[in-house]
Amino acid sequence: MKCIITIDKEHEEEVLIFAHEKTKLIEDILNLINNENVFTGYSDGEIHRLNLSEIYCFAVEDNKVYALTDKDKLQIKQRLYQVEEKLSDDFVKINQSCIANIKKIKKFDTSVSGMLTVTFKNGYRDYVSRRNLKSVKERLGVK
Amino acid sequence: MNRYLKEFLHRGLVFAGFGPVILGIIFFVLEKTLDDFSVSGGQILLGIVSTYILAFVQAGVSVFNQIEHWSLPKSLLCHLGMLYAVYVICYILNSWIPFEWGVIGIFTAIFVVGYFVIWFTVYFVAKATGKKLNATLK
Repeated sequence: MKCIITIDKEHEEEVLIFAHEKTKLIEDILNLINNENVFTGYSDGEIHRLNLSEIYCFAVEDNKVYALTDKDKLQIKQRLYQVEEKLSDDFVKINQSCIANIKKIKKFDTSVSGMLTVTFKNGYRDYVSRRNLKSVKERLGVK
Repeated sequence: MNRYLKEFLHRGLVFAGFGPVILGIIFFVLEKTLDDFSVSGGQILLGIVSTYILAFVQAGVSVFNQIEHWSLPKSLLCHLGMLYAVYVICYILNSWIPFEWGVIGIFTAIFVVGYFVIWFTVYFVAKATGKKLNATLK
């Protein structure tokens, strides 16, 4: 695809795309421009761009927010409530410190205390607090 | 500090204050309903301290259920054992039950049966919810 960049301080900033069809590349460019569905993760001095679809959950540990993917755990330099505001309907808060991607949940189990635990497809486990159980049930269509 | 101990203390301190509040409500109801109800300052102080400790332990011991490397019997036994010990000591110290083996035996039986009735109810309700949620994931 041909790319033209014009630096002109007089003109309003805009991006125009001429394409034959809407491809993955175009969607990625749109996400990047709108800064939606994309998070920046930090790990060992490296910066990674993360699409929402590859994030299993956002979890707080030691007052830091992490995005957990299939194999990685990347720090997100935002507060959990700020992350929550940007998320799609695929995500639901399961407790005070964790927002889960419903599509990445493997199963629910019951703990000894009668609390529900979530096992993600990457093996990570967390619990569903009683406070958030109602919204989890609603999101999954369970009465 | 061990993270479970830290969580125990945190939960205990958050909820401990509810104990004396509940005691106050019970005293209030007793005063309104019984003609000859009276408590001394010493009894009130002992009651406040006891219920504070009861609520502290009651909230704190829930952390035992989250220690994943503990087996189910160990977790339940420690949870039940610690709760029972604190309850029976506080009840006897406050003379809410007399220090008689027969009475303590009945108290123990009611406590254990009540504990497991509540545990089974909560556990199976959660299990049924988990089953419903799992069905939506398929």
